[in-house]
Amino acid sequence: METFLQVLVSGLMLGALFAIVSVGLTLIFGIVKVVNFAHGEFLMLGMYLVYLFTTKLGIHPLLTSVIVAPLLFVAGVVTQRFIIQPLMSARDDHIQIFATVGLSTALINLALLLFGADIANTPSSGLRTPITFGPVRVLLGQLVILAVSIMLVIGLQAFLKRTQTGRAIRAVAQNRAAAQLMGINVNRIYMLTFGIGAACVGLAASMVAPLYPTSPNIGTYFVLTAFVVVVLGGLGSLTGAFAGAMIIGLIDSFAGFYIGSDVREVVVFGVFLLILILKPSGLFSNRLSLSHVSP
Amino acid sequence: MKLPNLLKMTAAAIVLSASAAHAEVKFGALYPFSGQLALLGEESARGLEIAVDEINAAGGIQGEKVVLVKGDAVDNNQAIGEARRLISLEKVSAIFGTYSSARSIAASQVAELSGIPYFELGAVADEVTSRGLKYMFRTNPYAKDMGEMVVDMVVEKVAPGLGKQPGDLKIGIIYEDSSYGTSVSKHQADFAKEKGLNIVLSSGYPAATVDMSSLVLQLKQAGADVVLQTSYQNDSVLFLQQANEAGYKPAAVIGGGGGYSMQPTADAVGHDVIENVLDVDFTQFLVNTKATPGLEAFVEAYKEKYGIAPRSGHSLNNYVGAKALMESIGKAEGFEPDTIVEAVKAIDIADGQTAAGYGIKFGENGQNERAAMMGMQWQGGKLVAVYPDAAAVSKLNIAN
Amino acid sequence: MRKTVTDSTLDTAMTQARPNTLPWKRIGLFTAGMLALLIIPILIGDQFVSHIFVTIFIFAGLSTAWNIVGGYAGQLSLGHAIFYGIGAYAGIILMNLGISPWLGMFVGAAVSMVVAVAISYPCFRLRGPFFSLATIAFLEVFRVLALHFRELTGGATGLMIPLKFGWEWMVFRDRTPGLLIAFGMLMVALGVAWWIRSHRLGFYLVATRERESAAQAAGVSTVRVRLIAVAASAALTAMIGTFHAMYLTFIDPSSVFSLTTSIQIAMFALIGGIGTIFGPLVGALFLVPLSELARGWLGAQALGLHGFVYGVVLVLVVLFMPNGIVGLTGRFFNGKNDEKKAQAAPIAAAARASRPPIGNDILVVDHLDKHFGGLHVTRDVSLTLKEGEILGLIGPNGAGKTTVFNMISGFLKPSSGTVKVRSEDGSMMMPVTPGDFAAIGVGRTFQIVQPFAAMTVEENIMVGAFHRHSDVREAREVARETAHRMGLGHYLDAEARGLTIGGLKRLEVARVMAMKPRILLLDEVMAGINQTDVRRAIDLMLSIRDTGVSIIAIEHVMQAVMSLSDRVIVLSSGQIIAEGKPQDVVRDKQVIEAYLGKDFVHAEA
Repeated sequence: METFLQVLVSGLMLGALFAIVSVGLTLIFGIVKVVNFAHGEFLMLGMYLVYLFTTKLGIHPLLTSVIVAPLLFVAGVVTQRFIIQPLMSARDDHIQIFATVGLSTALINLALLLFGADIANTPSSGLRTPITFGPVRVLLGQLVILAVSIMLVIGLQAFLKRTQTGRAIRAVAQNRAAAQLMGINVNRIYMLTFGIGAACVGLAASMVAPLYPTSPNIGTYFVLTAFVVVVLGGLGSLTGAFAGAMIIGLIDSFAGFYIGSDVREVVVFGVFLLILILKPSGLFSNRLSLSHVSP
Repeated sequence: MKLPNLLKMTAAAIVLSASAAHAEVKFGALYPFSGQLALLGEESARGLEIAVDEINAAGGIQGEKVVLVKGDAVDNNQAIGEARRLISLEKVSAIFGTYSSARSIAASQVAELSGIPYFELGAVADEVTSRGLKYMFRTNPYAKDMGEMVVDMVVEKVAPGLGKQPGDLKIGIIYEDSSYGTSVSKHQADFAKEKGLNIVLSSGYPAATVDMSSLVLQLKQAGADVVLQTSYQNDSVLFLQQANEAGYKPAAVIGGGGGYSMQPTADAVGHDVIENVLDVDFTQFLVNTKATPGLEAFVEAYKEKYGIAPRSGHSLNNYVGAKALMESIGKAEGFEPDTIVEAVKAIDIADGQTAAGYGIKFGENGQNERAAMMGMQWQGGKLVAVYPDAAAVSKLNIAN
Repeated sequence: MRKTVTDSTLDTAMTQARPNTLPWKRIGLFTAGMLALLIIPILIGDQFVSHIFVTIFIFAGLSTAWNIVGGYAGQLSLGHAIFYGIGAYAGIILMNLGISPWLGMFVGAAVSMVVAVAISYPCFRLRGPFFSLATIAFLEVFRVLALHFRELTGGATGLMIPLKFGWEWMVFRDRTPGLLIAFGMLMVALGVAWWIRSHRLGFYLVATRERESAAQAAGVSTVRVRLIAVAASAALTAMIGTFHAMYLTFIDPSSVFSLTTSIQIAMFALIGGIGTIFGPLVGALFLVPLSELARGWLGAQALGLHGFVYGVVLVLVVLFMPNGIVGLTGRFFNGKNDEKKAQAAPIAAAARASRPPIGNDILVVDHLDKHFGGLHVTRDVSLTLKEGEILGLIGPNGAGKTTVFNMISGFLKPSSGTVKVRSEDGSMMMPVTPGDFAAIGVGRTFQIVQPFAAMTVEENIMVGAFHRHSDVREAREVARETAHRMGLGHYLDAEARGLTIGGLKRLEVARVMAMKPRILLLDEVMAGINQTDVRRAIDLMLSIRDTGVSIIAIEHVMQAVMSLSDRVIVLSSGQIIAEGKPQDVVRDKQVIEAYLGKDFVHAEA
């Protein structure tokens, strides 16, 4: 029973980690409708920034988010404006995927060039402190991730529902052409969304970096899982993505413990495929977002 | 018609840039210089470079200057391509490499077909020398040596240290699921069974993972006293941290090289956490230098050339192998493949005569029969040699 | 205004169109180019150059095979390494059992086809990026399974082949045979790709990619054609995989079932020109040497430098050559199609035969109900269409006309009620899918035009013509004839995306007419056609009717409704409110009410 609880809690914590990494992708994938293969590299970039700010300037890793998130916002806007936007009208929408693959390759190797292949250690600054609840142990940093990811989902949800800009973003997500007719500057909305999505990753980076060693390839560990989470949650649904992340975290944890670590990827991807095939709109589909299956 | 011209020009450019001086002999340096394996690929190549520097400073091989031509073996197809380039375009007399077993296996098939000697200085998979190739030689110890020494250490040191019979210990074997982890763990399991050890868990996992807590829980549940992990860096860090945070404290953790031998791993995990963790790997640097003559000189040369201390023992082992091989070739006449093979087969260096400690003498299959790993332990944030006793600079601590 | 079109008019029109002879010049150029590709490495006679060419051939072949699915069918698979891996493993496992890889490659191909069909079938419902993500997930699953089943695959340490030399083992000391085999495989892949692209299957694939529903309406079994494409592509990929494994002599799961390889395969096609026959080859010819050069020059300079440059170049290429190299050169050499040259030519006036008498019921619709949740779109709609009759279906916007169309062409499943169609042999059938309806002879147009944008006008119409003529030449003849009748004769070679809305409406009709349907469902085809042409279009419809085709037409242009229809049915709020002769119906109070007099007044005037 104790072990079961620990597996459960480990799964939830893992879920929170996936959630915070996937929130930004949900926005980008759900609203701009671009498969951004460089998403993981944004995280990697953010983690290196956190590493630099903590080690060189001695800032607490959580506080670096104040700088890192805006920097990634800019990176996101630039990516959208100069790489994605020119391709929006391309004949083949596949082509954006390859642009982001190129970007991902370039960023990984840039990190290799700048930081070497060695792992970079962000000081944990107390975030690795274990906290015990009865038989169950978690890290302070993991609880922070859980709390922040919940707040992030709630905050973004409120932003999308309550504010003028948020409504414009949702309008663009639902019907690009109609939104354009209503005088919404679609390109600006896309840039903004991409920027916010990237900023979320920056925020995630400042929480992930103290817990996980940073390396040029770290992004690739996350990116496929993040896509799984976003699709599972229903395209563009933030709460769906959060729930999806929790489910994947739990599946991963339970499969790892009860089946074996060597096949847990098969279980995770197997569940993903099953859901994609049986319920392609995702578990918690957002009715407002465009469907991604043929009628 | 443009393409072939372009190719010819490139070929010419490469040849020109590489063959400025006369009276020189070219060797290929085939390592993964980019991609996922770049870090230790490069570290390995540095050992080879230092060996070449020393050889050249001492007048070269047979009076000819050694020139290294690099090949980037980023994937298997590339390894083959680069091997072909080195052989046919650069006309190297032999290829040194490779760090990665898969690249080594792929590239050495090409060398064998071309009849060019292939010297492996760092890859550990059995298959590198188990294929009966004529031109393949490996100087470094391999997976079997590693598995054997890990088990020996458990039997001879860990069990007595805990005051238990080896058969009473519960062994958990975990390994990253690529070629490296699987081949080492297979030998660990085989030797453990041979010595009557009790394996309670054996599980692979993908090295590119972000969570090992379920594996930690499995080990905890199984009550493993001794954990044998064969891993890269990321997963070594994750396991040690997550085991510590889960309150799981096995009596001994023995790493199989990879991430366990690297200083950044210790820094990432925390020196208090990694204290007393054991490691079996290529010879590293804090050893009894009586057993490893030339080690200090190597470290000095390394620091001078690259401005930092060696990042792992890969450079050392590549250096030792390369130097011994080149010196033997220096005693021969000419660089014909068969001449080189003859010269190399004649090498007979006793244990305790090289900077890595182990001697060199090739067996029938081209494997260095005297190659041996070394047992080490993290003590006070440093990786010190503790096993075998001849090389030890410190006592092996069993915390209990 | 009636004029009889003689055969000679048609003939002159036909000669203006593209000649139908084989382009000998191109074939010559192609042969010369391909021979050069083979001869150059043999002449240079260098191992490394040979290796580069083998790599080019292999990746060009893989990419050509991928292009059948990714390009023609538009399904962006990023899991093609699955098939490559199956081929590789099949070859090596069987060789270790003493079976020649020449046999092994067919075993691999067979297994790949089965796997391809099994994993693609459920995934075809997924669009664009979701399909890609699903294929990636499958690839990961295969990789982990290959790691897991060690007895079969050797696990992570991989598999090696015994170094047995000679043609029967596909392993050589000499470099030329390997080059020849790789070249041969590329030629096979190009041959298959060419065959598919230039036959009905290729047209169907592209049509499905461009507009799935329109393709279904044209009688294309969209799932079947894509499965055939996937199977062909998988088989080719596996066969090349077998050879590559023999060439590498060593494989392991991470290098074989690799996402990087999958992406690379797709990338060559993309950069060369996705969906074109030679694009993948051009892409590989460009990229393979480029990455070799980059590696040669930058590889040793600094860790990651060449990868960085490669990534940046990739982004730039995608940004500045979104249509690939072939697209770029194509534009350069051919110049712009004169898409905007002129308005569409007038619709050819139609020859009229005498009208056959109205026959028996051919389409019987009983009590159709359709509701989405609580919203009733149609309620208890019953109607019959008789052979040789034109039935007008009118009603205000939102009355449910198009919904009725969708239900009587298989695009929408009725909540309750039945649709029966009399087949050619006289029995009443109940078709279900769009394919069933097309097969039984029901053709339809779409209110919102659904052209196959990337295809030419001729090709668009050919997709319809293929319904009755499987031969390309025949289909082309029919398409041209139909195009001329619809006044599209001058635009045969223009891409459909360049047409005006009026042109697209005509194209819509032309495509369905080329199917030679027995029942024609026309959804507002007169909209966007100018006044003179409306008259001709009406004549055209009448002439079609006179050949025995039964027609239901949704129409807002009252002039057309009044002069075409034998009967009119008025739909309002999902219910039939009136039915009868056109003149009677427009006087019906309820109808006037429903329309608020708008169109009705116009029609009477």
